[in-house]
Amino acid sequence: MELSFARTWLPYIYLYGVGGIIFLTGMFIIFKSKSINIVRPRHKKWFGVLIFGFLWYMFLHGFSILAALNF
Amino acid sequence: MQQVSSTFWIIIFAYFTLILGFGSYFARYNKTTNDFFFSGRRFSWWLIAMSIVATGVGSHSFLKYSAKAYEHGFSSTMTYMNDWFFIPFFLFGWLPIVYYTKVKSIPDYFEKRFGSGVRKLATFAILGYMIGYIAIGFLTMGKTLQPILGWNIYTIVAVVAVIAGIYITFGGQTAVIFTDLAQGFILIFAGILIFVLGINYVGGFSIFWNSLSPEFKLPLAHFNEPSNFNFSGIFWQDGVAGSVGFLFMNQGLIMRFMATKSVNEGRKAAAFNILFLLPISTIVVSNAGWVGKSISILTPEKWDATVKLDHVFTQVAGLITTSEVVFAFIIAAVAAALMSTVDTLINAVAAVVVNDVYKPIVKDRDDKHYLKVAMIVSAGATALGAISVVFFNNFPTLYEAHGFFHSTMTPPLVVAIFLGIFWKRYTTEAAVATFIGGAFLMWLGNKYPGILIAPFDHGIEMDPEHPYSYIRALYNTLVCLSVGVVVSLFTTPKTEEEMDGITVWSLDRAREKFKGSKPNDREGKKPITTWKIVEGQDELVRFSQKEMDFMAAEVGDLVYISDSRGWLGGLKSCHSVYGKVHDEEGMVYISAEIADSAMFVEGKTVKSEKEM
Repeated sequence: MELSFARTWLPYIYLYGVGGIIFLTGMFIIFKSKSINIVRPRHKKWFGVLIFGFLWYMFLHGFSILAALNF
Repeated sequence: MQQVSSTFWIIIFAYFTLILGFGSYFARYNKTTNDFFFSGRRFSWWLIAMSIVATGVGSHSFLKYSAKAYEHGFSSTMTYMNDWFFIPFFLFGWLPIVYYTKVKSIPDYFEKRFGSGVRKLATFAILGYMIGYIAIGFLTMGKTLQPILGWNIYTIVAVVAVIAGIYITFGGQTAVIFTDLAQGFILIFAGILIFVLGINYVGGFSIFWNSLSPEFKLPLAHFNEPSNFNFSGIFWQDGVAGSVGFLFMNQGLIMRFMATKSVNEGRKAAAFNILFLLPISTIVVSNAGWVGKSISILTPEKWDATVKLDHVFTQVAGLITTSEVVFAFIIAAVAAALMSTVDTLINAVAAVVVNDVYKPIVKDRDDKHYLKVAMIVSAGATALGAISVVFFNNFPTLYEAHGFFHSTMTPPLVVAIFLGIFWKRYTTEAAVATFIGGAFLMWLGNKYPGILIAPFDHGIEMDPEHPYSYIRALYNTLVCLSVGVVVSLFTTPKTEEEMDGITVWSLDRAREKFKGSKPNDREGKKPITTWKIVEGQDELVRFSQKEMDFMAAEVGDLVYISDSRGWLGGLKSCHSVYGKVHDEEGMVYISAEIADSAMFVEGKTVKSEKEM
């Protein structure tokens, strides 16, 4: 049985679309407020961790969908 | 009813005695209410990260997610895999604010930001949230043990409440952290053990994998159907309201982060937990359902298809464990996990009641008095949580009970906290309106879901029995947000001076206030030295110039000193201030009071680090 787009990739796009807007808003605010200051070496590492985390989850979900669909 | 012998009960009893004894041993570290609630802000990130696993995974998860995993497949993992979106707000917003402002509770923050009226509203809302959470924990325990004991669910809840109440009343936060630390490891081990035994039971991984349909194996649910489990509803209920609720307004979790030795350690604990421990945890709590589905397809004669969904976990554990000892261990681990969630919340309720209700009324009593009150409140919170089970037992599954709870309880508080931290324009009047007006509009939505919530339903069909259990979180969040924004635009915000150090826009000032002078951010190293007690230097600690240079520290900076044995995770440690230098290299001078509160051991070296 062919799985519909609403069952396969639409949730993924919605998750990282709407979730991405929330994430970027957070990044914007902490930069703008200088709560994170990448001039400080420790904060520079944290900036990397924040971006890595987003991509890490994007990868985990994307890979799981592909595995489920036997790609 | 599952048949068990006396061996089963001996193992359960032994497990509980061991794990509760382990935690209670650390109760001797509670000397003040600060220790009872916050463990003296001393622990390393790894200890807190592991203890958070037990708090989060704790009670409801094994049953709740096994049920949904059996019913809907791998998409039961959604709840644990959508927390990262809010992490910038948490790591560089809320966490440093609660740490540096030294708030004792979330309502305490509301008083600093808005005033005492909003503090009262927040106290009421937060106590309701936590008591509800405790009730769900107790209900889970009842449902776990009912198939084994065959008792009435309320009898089980009463027995469990008595055990939990006694333990937490005397243990305090340090006992909670250490019990949870042990529980975190055991839970992950028990969950992986179930998976390994389950895979073995069905004949290997490829048989397990191929027995399940592609639809079952998809990690995200269908966008908008069925009404009791769909992606968009769960995203708003769990990914937004639930995640923010858990990170920002779960007093128990906040207290756990406040027990870390520094903001940076708190960040490490949170990031490690979400990046690595949550993906593992989601497999740990869900796999019994996946294995159950596989068994029901491959060997239907062995599977009782009439089993209630919330009992799937117990049935799988009973089937795949050929030894009663292993079965007893798994049930004991899950049952004791309940304690890990509930004990955190009971301790948190005590913190809120003592700091936000009792202390403002009964002032200037000695710390022993407040500690005693904290213990009495802990016992009361346990009883109230047990009574509240009656309400949540009306929902078809734990998952739905929890979903409804999150959708309705969290939005006003979450919106008020969020706007309070990140939007300077947000006013006191708007915060009051968010609670009262927001609650009113949420009530209207509950009464007329077909009219008010339907426009936000993403195409989800309305179930008349439990209308829009999940997507109502979107409506509830939006109405609270709208009320907060609109009222803010028509009222006058506080001045910059009045909000100094309590929003994300003035975090540097918060750090400065925390220290009492300008922070020293030069990067230093951490020397390991011996120590000795030298009287007549107050609460200051003194190093030689060589060590001061090594740490890039100056007199007046803040210092953290711990036993150099890293595996203690900061249990034996203290915070202090650098005093004037001495000339004895490799030695730190401390007072008897500091040595006593840090519980340093004579002859053991200490590691020191400059905080700021």
